[in-house]
Amino acid sequence: MVNEPDTGSPAATFDAEDLDLAGGLTFVLDVLLSDVHAGEMIEITSRNAGLIHELPAWARGTGNELVATEPDGARWIHRIRRGERPSLMFRDRPELAVEVPDRRDGFGTRDWLIGSAARIPERADPSTGFAPRGAEVEPGSPAFPFPLNDRDRVWAANVASLYDQATAQQWDASTDIRWDALPQLPNHLERAVAQVMTHLAENEYAALYVPARFIPRIHPHFTEVVLFLSTQITDEARHIEAFTKRALAGGGGLGRSAAITQQSLKSLLEQEDFSQASFLLSVLGEGAFLDYLSFVERFAPDPVTADIVRRARVDEARHVAFGVEHARYFLAADPDRAGVLRTAVEQRAAFLSQTSGATPHVEEALVILAAGGLRPGSLPDGVRAVRELHESMHRHRMGRLRSLGFDQQTAEAISELHTANFM
Amino acid sequence: MPETLMVGAVAYDAKVVPIWEGIREYFRDAPVEMDFVLFSNYEAQVDALLGGRIDVAWNTNLAYVRVHRATAGECRVLAMRDTDVEFFTLLVGRTGDLTSASELRDRTLALGSADSVQAAIMPVHYLRREGLEPDRDVRLLRFDSDVGKHGDTGRSEREALEAVLGATADAAAVGAVSWDTFVRAGEVPPGRLAPFWTSPAYSHCNFTALPSLQSDVADAWTAHLRAMDWTVPEQRRILELEGLRQWVGPQLDGYRDVFDAVDEQGIAARW
Repeated sequence: MVNEPDTGSPAATFDAEDLDLAGGLTFVLDVLLSDVHAGEMIEITSRNAGLIHELPAWARGTGNELVATEPDGARWIHRIRRGERPSLMFRDRPELAVEVPDRRDGFGTRDWLIGSAARIPERADPSTGFAPRGAEVEPGSPAFPFPLNDRDRVWAANVASLYDQATAQQWDASTDIRWDALPQLPNHLERAVAQVMTHLAENEYAALYVPARFIPRIHPHFTEVVLFLSTQITDEARHIEAFTKRALAGGGGLGRSAAITQQSLKSLLEQEDFSQASFLLSVLGEGAFLDYLSFVERFAPDPVTADIVRRARVDEARHVAFGVEHARYFLAADPDRAGVLRTAVEQRAAFLSQTSGATPHVEEALVILAAGGLRPGSLPDGVRAVRELHESMHRHRMGRLRSLGFDQQTAEAISELHTANFM
Repeated sequence: MPETLMVGAVAYDAKVVPIWEGIREYFRDAPVEMDFVLFSNYEAQVDALLGGRIDVAWNTNLAYVRVHRATAGECRVLAMRDTDVEFFTLLVGRTGDLTSASELRDRTLALGSADSVQAAIMPVHYLRREGLEPDRDVRLLRFDSDVGKHGDTGRSEREALEAVLGATADAAAVGAVSWDTFVRAGEVPPGRLAPFWTSPAYSHCNFTALPSLQSDVADAWTAHLRAMDWTVPEQRRILELEGLRQWVGPQLDGYRDVFDAVDEQGIAARW
């Protein structure tokens, strides 16, 4: 037992009363010692005689030094110096005090940039693994195989706000839709709706699987992106559910899926670069989808169909906003990267050029939907409406591309090359 | 100079394999590399060392005493853990019951394995110093489990503590490091058991080599071993598993009491 007098004043004191190590004093000691620097002393007062015998091995086992044990009446005073080689080798003390957020109107994710959690790295350290951003990670932790460790490869300026919007705007496709209000439609109209729903659903599978492939590749310190993409996946799951249910709810049943659609979606799934995939899926594909969903809402023959596509469009608008802002962040880091995005479009177009671009069963369903049926007097209006749909998709694509800094000619080229399948 | 030293260790726990794989890996490309052989008991390891089938044995204090005797004191100790220096035995009773070793008179003391220096041999030795003759003044309740592993498994110490909790014994003799391990692992019920006596310090394990091992080889191997660094995560993992922070040079004074205890108790060279 050590009994050297020590003149240093303790950095912390604690009256342990009768507590023994097994009863929880080990945790008290851990807490007190984690709050002081190596070399600093803490002082424990105790009435527990057993501690005299327990503390030497505890101190050695935890890498601390029992400097002195002195009797003090019916008590003992134990002085413990924090060691240089503690059991866990943290470099720094954890932050003891940080600013707190204004929580009067809730606690938004964009407001959680506090203390060390606010340090979004430009290049993330693979060995911080799954530790939340801002947590202190012990050296020697294993490096995780995240390929996406650079902020400019994943980030978007508005991602925290988009995540907050996403969590606030979730809906339930089973109960929020007034399924009981679905009227009996004429057979050919119901089948047209069901075909459109089938096409929407199969596109949404791609919109679910593509971000899902990238989440495990993104370093968790870009957590806002990971969380947002998780909501995107949940959104797409709900859309798949709602579109499939709409196809089934009115007796139309699931329609057809064309090889060109499958080729187009497969080429999305095969993208290996997050920024290229995000550009193809969210900027171009989901961007076109906004027009597609507006079209279906406008010509929906029943309130249930209109409600579903309206809700889906609100969700899709967030995905497009993320895609556009990520592309902006990606391009801001290096304007030459515009070529990277253009290449992705060209390669996909080259791949798809080996197939016919037409999806006549979808065009047909859209025309019937816009015409409200097969009445000869209405069909020309339907044909015109579908042509306008393609034009508005192109116009909106051009707007997004120009806002990202693509020149008119390049934007035209990219828009023209984008798949006829919409997504 | 042999290219690779063969080191023996006893497999008392599954963690022994990653410990020695880690140490072997640490020695890769060192001036003297090493490999290891695992034994099921210390007797076999001591025989292998004396028979020249291994170059170095990671020995308990009792195994070291045997090698020392068999080599007429000519064997060499290369290194120890920092935790092997000033090792203690604790006597643990029920909280609020015993306050000194002398109060064990006419009571029952639970001991660990007969070949455990910390939980059987040294407690008997030091009780005599306290004026208590075991089996006459103090009843002994022995838990001879895992004999051959010199108490390394901790099983007999757990059994001795269980006996105190179950009131079939009044105190248990356990190594201070074992007690700390049990406490920090949450195995000790709060407030029911309390250590009331700490033994004098004695030494525990060491790396033992025969005098025939070339000293330049032994020195090179020992120097590399002692260079293991707690602040290097991969090395720290091994040090943590083996229960030390630093390898230190031999401190042989701490074995004096162990030699005396083995002689006094007439502990055979083999069993």
